[in-house]
Amino acid sequence: MARFEDAEDAAVIDVFAVDAEVGRDLAAVEWAGTPLGAPAGWPQSLRTAVSILLSSKFSMWMAWGPELTFLCNAAYRRDTLGRKYPWALGRPAREVWAEIWGDIGPRIDTVLETGQATWDEALLLFLERSGYPEETYHTFSYSPLRDDTGAVVGMLCVVSEDTQRVIGERRMATLRDLGSDPSVVRTEQETLAFAGQQLGRNLRDLPFSLIYLFDDGGARLATATGIPPGHRAAPATLAADDLPAVWPTAAAARGEAESVELDGDLPSGDWPAPPTQALVMPLLRQGGSPYGFLVAGLNRYRPVDDGYRGFVELVAGHIATGIASARSYQAQQRRADELAELDRAKTAFFSNISHEFRTPLTLIMGPVEELRTALAGADKRVQEELEVIHRNGLRLSKLVNTLLDFSRIEAGRMQARFEPVDLAALTAGLASVFRSAIEKAGLAFEIDCPPLAEPVYLDPGMWEKVILNLLSNALKFTFDGAVRVSVSAREGHAEVVVADTGIGVAAEELPRLFERFHRIDNARARSNEGSGIGLALVKELIGLHGGTIAADSAEGRGTAFTIRLPFGSAHLPAESLAPAGAAAGVSATAVPYLQEALRWLPGDAEPPSLPSGAATQARVLIADDNADMREYLTRILSEAGYLVEAVNDGHEALATVRAAAPDLVISDVMMPRLDGLALVAALRADSRTASVPVLLLSARAGQEASIEGLEAGADDYLVKPFAAAELLARVRANVELARLRNHHIRWRTALVDSLQEAFFVCDEDGAVIEINAAFTDILGYGPEGLPYPPIHPWWPDAETDVEAHKQVAAAFAALLDERQGSHTIPLTHRDGRRVWISATFNQAHDPDTGRRVSVGTFRDVTAEHHAIQRDSALASLSTRLSGATSLADALEGALAELKALWRAQDVVAAVFDQADAPTVTATDPALTWARLPVQRRERIVDLRESPLLTPISDHTGAGIVLDHPNGPMALWVELGDHRPFTGEDHLLLSLLAGQLSQGLGRAHQIDQQRETAIALQRAILGPSDLPDGFAVRYQPATSRLEVGGDWYDVIALPDGRIGIVVGDCVGRGLEAASVMGQLRSACRALLLQDASPARTLMALDRFAASLPGALCTTVFCGVLDPRTGDLAYCSAGHPPGILAHPDGTTRLLEEGRSTPLAIRPGRHRPEGRYSLPARSTLMLYTDGLVERRRRPLSEGIDQASAVVQDGSDLLVDDLATEVMTRLAPGGGYDDDVALLLYRHPAPLEMTFPAEAGQLAPVRQALRSWLDQVQLPRQQAHDIVVAAGEAFANAIEHGYRHNPGAPVHLRAEAFADNLHLTIVDQGAWKTPQPEANPHRGRGVSLMRALMQRVTITRTATGTTVDLYTRIT
Amino acid sequence: MTTPLTLTAGHRPDGTPLLTAAGEIDMSNSETLAEAITATPGHLVIDLTAVDYLDSAGLAVLFTHAERIEIIATPLLAPVLTISGLTDLTTVHTITHDSAEPTG
Repeated sequence: MARFEDAEDAAVIDVFAVDAEVGRDLAAVEWAGTPLGAPAGWPQSLRTAVSILLSSKFSMWMAWGPELTFLCNAAYRRDTLGRKYPWALGRPAREVWAEIWGDIGPRIDTVLETGQATWDEALLLFLERSGYPEETYHTFSYSPLRDDTGAVVGMLCVVSEDTQRVIGERRMATLRDLGSDPSVVRTEQETLAFAGQQLGRNLRDLPFSLIYLFDDGGARLATATGIPPGHRAAPATLAADDLPAVWPTAAAARGEAESVELDGDLPSGDWPAPPTQALVMPLLRQGGSPYGFLVAGLNRYRPVDDGYRGFVELVAGHIATGIASARSYQAQQRRADELAELDRAKTAFFSNISHEFRTPLTLIMGPVEELRTALAGADKRVQEELEVIHRNGLRLSKLVNTLLDFSRIEAGRMQARFEPVDLAALTAGLASVFRSAIEKAGLAFEIDCPPLAEPVYLDPGMWEKVILNLLSNALKFTFDGAVRVSVSAREGHAEVVVADTGIGVAAEELPRLFERFHRIDNARARSNEGSGIGLALVKELIGLHGGTIAADSAEGRGTAFTIRLPFGSAHLPAESLAPAGAAAGVSATAVPYLQEALRWLPGDAEPPSLPSGAATQARVLIADDNADMREYLTRILSEAGYLVEAVNDGHEALATVRAAAPDLVISDVMMPRLDGLALVAALRADSRTASVPVLLLSARAGQEASIEGLEAGADDYLVKPFAAAELLARVRANVELARLRNHHIRWRTALVDSLQEAFFVCDEDGAVIEINAAFTDILGYGPEGLPYPPIHPWWPDAETDVEAHKQVAAAFAALLDERQGSHTIPLTHRDGRRVWISATFNQAHDPDTGRRVSVGTFRDVTAEHHAIQRDSALASLSTRLSGATSLADALEGALAELKALWRAQDVVAAVFDQADAPTVTATDPALTWARLPVQRRERIVDLRESPLLTPISDHTGAGIVLDHPNGPMALWVELGDHRPFTGEDHLLLSLLAGQLSQGLGRAHQIDQQRETAIALQRAILGPSDLPDGFAVRYQPATSRLEVGGDWYDVIALPDGRIGIVVGDCVGRGLEAASVMGQLRSACRALLLQDASPARTLMALDRFAASLPGALCTTVFCGVLDPRTGDLAYCSAGHPPGILAHPDGTTRLLEEGRSTPLAIRPGRHRPEGRYSLPARSTLMLYTDGLVERRRRPLSEGIDQASAVVQDGSDLLVDDLATEVMTRLAPGGGYDDDVALLLYRHPAPLEMTFPAEAGQLAPVRQALRSWLDQVQLPRQQAHDIVVAAGEAFANAIEHGYRHNPGAPVHLRAEAFADNLHLTIVDQGAWKTPQPEANPHRGRGVSLMRALMQRVTITRTATGTTVDLYTRIT
Repeated sequence: MTTPLTLTAGHRPDGTPLLTAAGEIDMSNSETLAEAITATPGHLVIDLTAVDYLDSAGLAVLFTHAERIEIIATPLLAPVLTISGLTDLTTVHTITHDSAEPTG
């Protein structure tokens, strides 16, 4: 230790006294043992250098003398030297910085040899200041130090450390690259390969990395970066139980990150030595176990701090998000492909079936029927073969009809008519049809159908198909035991069970039992016939009834099918309900089922006998108002083998005939409403029914009555009473005659009906007078409503659907006027749903009447239309999502799309994100979870339980569940009551939901990236701690970033002056920001080294010339003396600073102007000088603030000047806000804006202890500040007195019991007024004027001297505010 | 540390006792002023022309002896003396620094 007693050491104290701490340690160095010798003998030049060094707040070190002896200041000690302090002091620099001497030695040599300064930007140096070689980056300049003779004998280094910035930017780049181009959808493999490639570009932070994905019981290597596959640290697979594992697989599977110590031979990335530590980070999956884990080899040259760990976590997060979106995309893609494929196959199949089978079938079955009649007496063998043809024709018809039923159900065209029926009786009746066949097969047949308490609504025709299919199935697979049919009521439902003791179904086949075209292979059956479609149809039909069917089976023990149907009609569409019909018997539908079943059984194939006669028989319609007569006629005709239908009057008869023409109509002449003669007339007037034969019955005898009937167009006439035999003879004769006569008409009808396209005929007024079955299928309007005069009921509503109505009207006008044409138009189905139709028509002439008619066809193109609509909906959603700037924005936009698409009342999304209640987003912004009606809340909660991306709908709307980044999201589209939500809508909703889910994931990813980016950007933006008196604003044009090419900087210079910089790099966004960051740092360092604006910009010229992207940057650089207001400045092509004087005039700082940076490096730059008057406001800015299209710049500057002038009495920070707000263009700033404001002088701010002895110095400080404000002497004195009273108050009252506690003073000047605040923390006692009379006098003094005084006393202290106008 | 204040006792040419103050007067040193005034009984002229600062603590001392003192001050102190009401009790001569003679 040195001693200070020696007189000569007094000089040492002087030299080192500038800095108390480092100075003491420097003084402690044994200087005599160094080439510099004792400080007393140091030359003046060295002393000066040392005192500059020690007084600087900027980080510096210097070397002096032959050994380049090392000295540094406090900032350098703190920022750079680390553990080497104080060891380094007085040692040779070569020894201090041994580890980087290779880098810095040559530079120092250059300085010493040439006397020229060096400049290095962000140079990588491995410092051993923390006990290990550390990766660091420094921007520094070495400049020569000269001795008293002018010879270079040392060097001074001014340095700023850039380590955090360089590493931060590098990590940001990796994260940005990882997230780049998120619109490109990749497979999982591509995603991981891409991630690996990006990680490979940053082998500094990640010398090597491995991505493992979990699969069955272990993990497999998906990607390796920086490490060869097969390396011992990169095994291709890891078993979960393989202990000790290379990597902690089990911890990662639990979602835990773990740090692993490494040793041995490992790749070292961009570094000379390999990592000593790795982080194993799970790839987390939302709401599930991790996908896998990331192994990140860590840079041994950096500490593993929160930043490093956070970076690896974000990398893992990116990779996990990538995997999530790839997997969700793949699943979605697969699903869409499957649906589309199924759709295509199905459509093709059904089109072919209907078109190719139905027409030839008609042409086979017709002639076969004829032949069976004609050859009734022929050879037995011929008859048998005809029977074979007939039976198989029926089978084929049954199959085709079943398939067409499917087609109708799929297209939503199945016309169910639900009527209340006695389910037990109907089912028992249907079952009994199979009794003979089942008993013939040697099986017991048990029918247990007790009556139910209430009726069940069902469509009898469909129910018939259900029961017949199930019985046929039971018989086919049962060889011993029994078939049982039972009906019962259970839990509010009707339950029908069809059970057998057959071969049963294997458990693994059960789930597919109801699948279409699924057949169980190698099952023992009575027949190998079968399409595998019966059970599928049964399920669909029961579904239409709102019921369910389930199968319970055990192999070898039998199968039981249980059907459950709800009672009542609440679950059925109101428009499909019908009153109870006549309890119809078993229809002709049963014939093919039974015939088929009987063929499976051994023995002869007897034609089955049915209660109501054979299928080939003629249909006779009876119209009579007398019930006895109806029953009599029905009985004798049924017994004779006719299919009989009976109605009450002519009206009903007409409707029945129009719906399906019978072979013969037998009508009474005398009937209410429409009598027999009128019925004949009406039938003859309609071309469709003109040829139906009519036999009139009358009580009136006589030739005249007979002639009257025949003239009206009846085919025969019979007078009551008549003999049964006579009636039957007449009927047979008429039917045969009519069949012969109407042969061509029947063929025409059969052919027209077999057309898959809807067919219609219009008369010359446009009334539709004939249609076929497909027409009814497509539009829901049947022949019973003919003729349909215009405007036809299927036109869209003129009020509510104006556009569609117009389209149809135009097409209809063309139909009347033109010879032929084709249009695609929207029509309304009878059930209210929209059908898209391709209509084609031709004009023709009716050969009978000579009148002009139009013949046309409708093809249902709804599916194609929907496909186009689907594509456009997906495209439109995609556009919305890609334009979204945040997760919330994406979701809101998507909901609005969905609402518009379905014209929904509203759309609600509830995210189950583990909060107390789900987070609700809705198209109605007022909706919250609490405000949703209880039923909808319940429905949404139920919906959440349903499988992902599977739409669910009811009479109020439709919903679906999808993945939201914060948890599962239930989406509900509220359509309003009873709007149909078709299969097409289901498909569309699931596709949109899939796309939405991905879009949300992407938006979430962008959100995360932005947060990361913002955090990193803030690190390179300007200083956040500004000297008093300054206010700044920064607004980048690119809304997703917080930085751009513009910047501001405020730098405290060592001599107390302040450097002010505002600059503007060309371009925007990240690229410009990185150029900006470098220029900012360089400019800062230059100003610190030499506080001359002109020389700084000239040096910056040279630097910018070598920095790509820095050319043409404009900069305003100034150095301000805050004490005097003297400003020296230099502008490199930058818009002039604005100075608002307190007298209301404005001055532009237009001197010292020259070209933007790097245009003419080396050229001299002029400097301007100006002395800011007191209470003036200076504004510097970039051109984004004032430049507008089609407006001269000067106009913008004038406008800005006016705003600053107006705000001369605002706080500078408030003024900054005012400027940004008032100058913003309508749509916000479209260019980066940097803004810097300073009001001179800066406010005075000081804190002093409450002691009477402090009063004089505080007053002195206030006086000198008031001098800077340039107040008249008297006013300044008054202010000092008023403030002095406030100080005295604080000391006397505030701190009577606590002397010396702090008192705070702030004084701020505005253009026209002054504001002082004195704050203490004392507990003020209630003033006692009598105890201290002159204190009361003090307060009145304050009030008299100031414009306004407020004294605010609270529990925590007292604030005195003094205001005065400046006179 | 107390506020700098110099007090010099003397006599005017006409023999009236004179107390000349220079510096600043506040609560930290008003007691010194009080002692100096008390030390001179009877009529006393107090010259405050070299006082830059006078607050309510100083005024309180002057008020105590208002009946027997006369004050000479610069216009700088005038508002304080007027507002406090001291001018109502005591004769105050206001002089500018330039002129040697009292003006009022």
